[in-house]
Amino acid sequence: MAEFNALTESVIKGDIKSAVAETQKALETGQDIQSIIDDGLIRAMDDVGERFSKGQIFVPQMLRSAKTMQECMKLIQPHFKEGDVKAKGKVVIGTVKGDLHDIGKNLVSMMLEGAGFTIIDLGVDVNPEAFVEKVKETEADIMGMSALLSTTMPAMRHTIDALKEAGIRDQVKVMIGGAPVTDDFAREIKADAYAPDAGSAVIQTKKLLGLS
Amino acid sequence: MRPIEIPTFQPRMKVLNREQALAIHTAALEILEKTGIKMEHPTVLEALAGEGCRVSGRDWVKIPAYLAEEALHSAPRQIALYDQQGNKSMPLTHENPFYGTGSDATFTFDMETGERRRSVLSDVANYARLVDGLENIAFCMSMANPVDVPVIEDIYLQVFAEMVKNTNKPIVFIADSGKDIARIYEIACLVAGGEELLQQKPFLLNYSEAISPLRFPQNVMERLIFCAEKKLPICLPSGSNAGGGSPVTLAGAMALGIAENLAGLVIHQLFGKGSPFLFGPNVSVLDMKSTVVSYGCPEWSLTQAALADMRDELYGLPIWAFAGASDAKVMDAQAGAESMFSIITAMLSRCNLIHDVGFLEYGSTSSLEMVTMANELVAMSRFFVGGIPVNDNTLALDAIERVASGEPGSIFLMDDHTFEHFMEAQFLPTLLDRSRYDSWEQSGALDMYGRCNKEAKKILATHQVNAKSDVVLEEIDRLLRR
Ligand code: B1M
Repeated sequence: MAEFNALTESVIKGDIKSAVAETQKALETGQDIQSIIDDGLIRAMDDVGERFSKGQIFVPQMLRSAKTMQECMKLIQPHFKEGDVKAKGKVVIGTVKGDLHDIGKNLVSMMLEGAGFTIIDLGVDVNPEAFVEKVKETEADIMGMSALLSTTMPAMRHTIDALKEAGIRDQVKVMIGGAPVTDDFAREIKADAYAPDAGSAVIQTKKLLGLS
Repeated sequence: MRPIEIPTFQPRMKVLNREQALAIHTAALEILEKTGIKMEHPTVLEALAGEGCRVSGRDWVKIPAYLAEEALHSAPRQIALYDQQGNKSMPLTHENPFYGTGSDATFTFDMETGERRRSVLSDVANYARLVDGLENIAFCMSMANPVDVPVIEDIYLQVFAEMVKNTNKPIVFIADSGKDIARIYEIACLVAGGEELLQQKPFLLNYSEAISPLRFPQNVMERLIFCAEKKLPICLPSGSNAGGGSPVTLAGAMALGIAENLAGLVIHQLFGKGSPFLFGPNVSVLDMKSTVVSYGCPEWSLTQAALADMRDELYGLPIWAFAGASDAKVMDAQAGAESMFSIITAMLSRCNLIHDVGFLEYGSTSSLEMVTMANELVAMSRFFVGGIPVNDNTLALDAIERVASGEPGSIFLMDDHTFEHFMEAQFLPTLLDRSRYDSWEQSGALDMYGRCNKEAKKILATHQVNAKSDVVLEEIDRLLRR
C-alpha cells in the first residue's frame, strides 16, 4: 500500500496534475490495476469521505478529489482487461416525475461516482416507465430516486409499483432521498434504503451491495 | 418667520456603488445575449424568435439586450397590492418594506405540544389567521405543504382557499401549472367581486420560479403567460443560490439571477405589456458543509440589499426579498439572531415584498412563534429606521430648562413633555422582556419562545377575521369540489 501514498495524498488534496502523474508512474512500473484503484484511489476517497463527514473539509474539496480520481481512472481504463476489475455496482438515478429539483440528486450522483460506482443519470421529471426501462436495460444494482416536493413523493411509490409490475422489483435495490423524504416513508413504500444526505447515500449504497 | 424644518434622515444602507451595479447589470445582459436561455415552452420560443431573438437547437434562445431594456421600461414601476376588502395596503414603491410569511413548509411546530410534525391543512388556516391579527405582518403565504389534502394535484388550490377563508390580507400564492392557477384565479375573482375589480385592486401575487442556470420549464411559463395576460402580479425569482444554481461568488450569482429575471420580464411583457412584475432572484448560498440552501445566512441579506441598490440606480421596479427566517432547528438564540439580522437589513436597504418570515430549518419547518416574534422585530426595526427627528419639540430645551431650574425634586418623568411624547419617542416592546428579574420570575419565567407561544395562542383564540359572505364561501366550496 505504501507505494501508493503519493497518489493517495494527491487525490486527497485534489491535485489533478500530480495524481495523474502518479497514476502514470504506477502503470508504467507495472503495478496491479485493481491495486492502484483499491489501495490508491478508493483508499483516498474513503479518507476524503470520512474527513467530510467529520466536518473537516467542505463539499467543493470533496468533489475536487472525486474529479481527481476520475481523471486517474481515465488513464487506467484502457488497461482494463476482461475480468480485470470488479465493477462496484451500477446505479440508475433520477428525480421523480413532476419534480425539477436536481442539485441534491446531482451531488449524490457525484459522490457515488467518486466512491467508484457507475452512474446512469436520468435527469429530472422522470416517469416510472423510464426508470423501469433503464433498470432493465442496464441491469442496474440500485435504483435511486430523489424528490424535493411532498407532492412528488407519491411518484416514488408509483415507480416502485412499476418495478413490481415489470416483474423486476427483486432484481434491484431501491434507495430514496430528498428533503421531505423520511425513513418512515421509505419503510412505508418498501424502499430498501433512505439517505438524508449525499454522504449517507454512499454508505447506504455500499450496505445495500454488501460492500461494507 | 418660522424656522426651516430639518428633514429627518432615515437610516439607510447601501452595499453597491453605481459602477458595481452597472457592471452586474451589464454581465446579466451579456448572459442573455451570448449564453442564452433554455426555453421549454414552444409558444414562448416562437414569440421570442418573432421579436428578433436567435434560436438554436431545439429550445436554446439568445435574447438581445435591447429587449430587456424595453421590458424594463414597459413594466410598471409601482405595484399596489390591496387587501381583500379593496383597501390599498401594500403600495410597493421603492421606500416601502412589507413583511409576510413563506410557503410550503413540510413540517411545523405544533403550538400545543411543541412537537415538530408534518403540516396539515388546518395549519394553513392558523397561519393565515395569525397573520391577519399581526400588525406588522402585511401579507400571507401558505406556510405549509399539508399532508391531508384530499387530492394532491389540487394542493395549491386547497391552500389558497384556506388562506382566503382565514385572512383578508394580501396573499402571495404558489401554483403548479396553467390549470390550477386558472382555478385559483376564479376564487380570487369571487373574492374581489369580479375580474375587473380584481384587476383594479389585485390582492394576490403569484410566486413562480425559473430554474438556475437559465432554464425555463413549460409549466412555469404557463403561469407567467397567465399572469401577464390577466394583469395578475407575479414574481419569478430563480434559485440562483451561490454555489448551487449559480457561481459561488455573489456577483456572478446575482448576474445570473438577474439575467433569468430579465428573461422572464421580457417574456412577461411580450404577453402582457404593462402588466405588473415584481423583480428579483433568490440569491442565498449552498452551505458547503451541510449542502443545505441557507435561510439564515448574511449572503442572502447582502445580495438583496445589493438588488435594492440596483433598483434605485437602474431598474426602478419593486423587488422581491426574504427575511425573518433561520436555519436553526428550533426557535432558539440562533433563530433570534438570524431572523433579526435579515429583518433589519431588509428594512435598512428598503426591500419591498419580503417573504419567508417564520421559517426554521432552512425552510423545512414553520413556526407560529417565529412569526409572532418577527412581528415585534419588524416593529423594532421600523422604529430604528424612523431615525431621530430633530426640531424644537424633540430638542426639548424648554423641558430641560424647566427641570434644571425647577424646584427640587422636579424630574423629567414628571414633566408634561414626557407625558405627551413618550409613546412616539420610545419603542415600547411587548414581547421583548425588560422586566426586573423578580417580576419575570413571578410571571412564569418564560423565555422568548414561551412568550411568543402564549401570544400566538391568544391571537388565535381571540382575533376575529372579517368573514367572507356566505355566497362567496359557498361558491368557493363548489369550486373546490369540481
Ligand atoms: C437516491 O437517493 C438519494 C439519497 C439522498 C438524496 C437524494 C436521493 N436526493 C437528495 N438527497 C439528499 O442528499 C442531498 C445532498 O446532501 C440532499 O439534497 P437536497 O436537495 O436536500 O440539497 C441540495 C444539495 C440543496 N438544496 C436544494 O437544492 C433545494 C433548496 C431549495 C431552496 C429549493 C430550490 C433551490 C429550488 N426550488 Co424548491 N427549493 C426548496 C429548497 C428549500 C431548502 N432550503 O431546502 C423546496 C424544496 N422547494 C419547494 C417548492 C415548494 C418549490 N420549489 C420549486 C422550484 C425550485 C427552484 C427551481 C427555484 C430551485 C431548484 C433548482 C434545482 N436545479 O434543483 C417549485 C417546484 C418546481 C418543481 N416542479 O420541481 C416550488 C413548488 C416553488 C414554486 N414557487 O413554484 C419547497 C418544497 C416543499 C414541499 N414539502 O414540497 C422547498 C422545501 C422550499 C420551501 N420551504 O417552500 C439530500 O436531500
